[in-house]
Amino acid sequence: MLNWIEKRTGFVSMTKDFLTEDVPGGASYWYVFGSATLFAMIVQIVTGIFLTFFYAPSAATAWESTRAMYLNPYTHFLLAVHYWGASAMIALVFLHLLQVLIFGAYKSPRELQWVVGVLLLLVTLVLGLTGYLLPWDMDAYFASQVSLNITGLAPVLGPVLQHIAQGGGSMGTATINRFFGLHVWLMPAVLVLLVGAHLAIFRHNGSAGPVVEDRRTLKPGRFWPDQFFMDGAFSLIVFVIICFLAFAFPPYLDEKADPTKFFVPYPAWYFLSLFGLLALVPPEIHLGPLTISLELIATIIVPTLFLVIVLLLPWLDRSRTRSFAARARLLWATTIIVAGIAGLSIYAQVTTMIKQAAAPPSPPESVVLSASAATLPPGGAPAAGSATTASQGSATSGAGAKVFAANCASCHGAQGLGLPGTFPPLANNPVVTGDANKVIGIVLGGLHGSISVNGQAYNGQMPAWKGTLSNKDVSDVITYIRGSLGNNHASAVTEAQVAGYKP
Amino acid sequence: MSDLNAGATHGTAGTPLTAHDAPADPLEVSRRTFMANATIAIGGIVGVVLAIPIIGSLLPPKSSSAGSWSPLSKQELDALQKATDKPVKLTFTLKYTDAYLPEQSAPEYCWGIKVDPAKFQAARPDIFNQPGGKANVDYPVVNMGFVVFSPICPHLGCYYNWSDAQNKFMCPCHGSQYTFDGTHVAGPAPRGLDPLPLREQNGAAEVTWIIYQSNTPQRIVVSYQA
Repeated sequence: MLNWIEKRTGFVSMTKDFLTEDVPGGASYWYVFGSATLFAMIVQIVTGIFLTFFYAPSAATAWESTRAMYLNPYTHFLLAVHYWGASAMIALVFLHLLQVLIFGAYKSPRELQWVVGVLLLLVTLVLGLTGYLLPWDMDAYFASQVSLNITGLAPVLGPVLQHIAQGGGSMGTATINRFFGLHVWLMPAVLVLLVGAHLAIFRHNGSAGPVVEDRRTLKPGRFWPDQFFMDGAFSLIVFVIICFLAFAFPPYLDEKADPTKFFVPYPAWYFLSLFGLLALVPPEIHLGPLTISLELIATIIVPTLFLVIVLLLPWLDRSRTRSFAARARLLWATTIIVAGIAGLSIYAQVTTMIKQAAAPPSPPESVVLSASAATLPPGGAPAAGSATTASQGSATSGAGAKVFAANCASCHGAQGLGLPGTFPPLANNPVVTGDANKVIGIVLGGLHGSISVNGQAYNGQMPAWKGTLSNKDVSDVITYIRGSLGNNHASAVTEAQVAGYKP
Repeated sequence: MSDLNAGATHGTAGTPLTAHDAPADPLEVSRRTFMANATIAIGGIVGVVLAIPIIGSLLPPKSSSAGSWSPLSKQELDALQKATDKPVKLTFTLKYTDAYLPEQSAPEYCWGIKVDPAKFQAARPDIFNQPGGKANVDYPVVNMGFVVFSPICPHLGCYYNWSDAQNKFMCPCHGSQYTFDGTHVAGPAPRGLDPLPLREQNGAAEVTWIIYQSNTPQRIVVSYQA
């Protein structure tokens, strides 16, 4: 039978050629990370293909079809495996890259294999980023909002790139379509092509093997079955962990994306370090007449420089030696950078958790999933205004509530409770309910430096809203915050008062 | 698969044995066989664990065992009351669920005929072939002196039409023909026209939509659109 196929196709000898590969120094569990990454990729492709059987990319159906997947135990499990498989794949790419870095396996003649590998890491991160948006729940929406706005910060091309990625001036159905196309077609195609190149280059140069003075002393080991078995055993462990996490900690579906509601997005863990860097630096510093945007440096310049250095590593470290002793400085630098990335991630995790604790809680998943389809906003359009706050006051305070939800709630909180240490509460704040002229001044001109409210210190930066908000918007929102937040019952502010404001 | 263990030899004859050549040591042979089989088993385990939720997710959900009732218009029912020798097209709005979408509705119709119950029962043995003249569907077929037919041809699911000239229901797709009372008289269809449940509720008539298995001599309910 095999002979019959072999004569007509050559598949059997092709398979044998593929499996017949010398492993210098013998098979080792040190070499399993690349294969396990490939394994995770296959799991992602298989589960991803079947998830498209149930998912529909549009603002009217993305969240609804995802919710239907959560309600079916089989699709829920597939979704959970895809979710944890993504994390596993990114973790394995990192480990694989670190291993190649430590053992100096990127050195000549394997420079291009390293470059392709770094590109694979990038593609994997883009896959993680684009996949994050697809469920179109609150977290998906606001996390993607942040990353798209960071894209827009990039000099020259940033705004154009943001516009292209969003498919318009703001996020919506076009964004879902584009992210879907990127996540499901373009990026996987690029990924598979790059993996093909990565493997072809690998077979061309052979395995780098252990760090020794004279490679000729290495006894060759077998790829099949020795190394293949080790790869398989480790992949099975990875798979068991993915399935356990999928069962025990499936992903959480939040409410459908509603841009008018306040929400603290939670970045995926592999972006936490970038997020931490952003959270750590003030938005800008002033050096005499110069204003330097640290935000731009933290979100665009530092990561880009880092990427360029990593890509060019084989040319920056040109020495032929792979010995650990001779490469001590590089290994120390690697250790410090990895520790820095871990530290930034932990810092970002802690700040996010503090913010989430201060934010109004999301409804439990059981509530989100059991909501009948009839009560959802029709046509996928988000409900206008934050339902609880908008319905409380008069017509003016309804308009003010909208202005507040769109502009103020992201810092001061949907209920005006603020953020400890950074953004002061507006509810039960004597300044807000005190002199109306002072409040108008703060809204129009912004507020910088440390202030004290009810004995607590706050040091966040409040931008000037003059020019962004109309006088009517300003009077509406001040009327709203003075009259509707917490126990505030102060007088309304008119448009004329705002127009006639004098410090 | 085990002959893969032998491996393909590198280079030409005369070169030293490579690591891939068949080992002589029987212990080494059994070690390699174990590793090869274990690797294949791992692939099998992963495949099965993924295949179970994939296949499970693709299986159709359980369809509900009863449909909802859609009211027919008063005028069309009056027309049916008057017309005795011709069928009347009865339009209604069908409400149905479609996967995760909110409740859908679409204009739909069925064909109504006015019948003498005894004559109809005699004319349609494919419906009333059960002992005691019971219908082979679990609802009363004749109601208020009317029978309504699903507009879908039992052959392959096209919508048929009534021809005044031929005095027959004619299907445009493959030429199946039926008499006024739904008896199959020509063409490839395996059975006569399918009835739909009809009931009187507060003076109005209501129908339930049913999808029947196409192209079978038996009348098998596939789904009620609830």
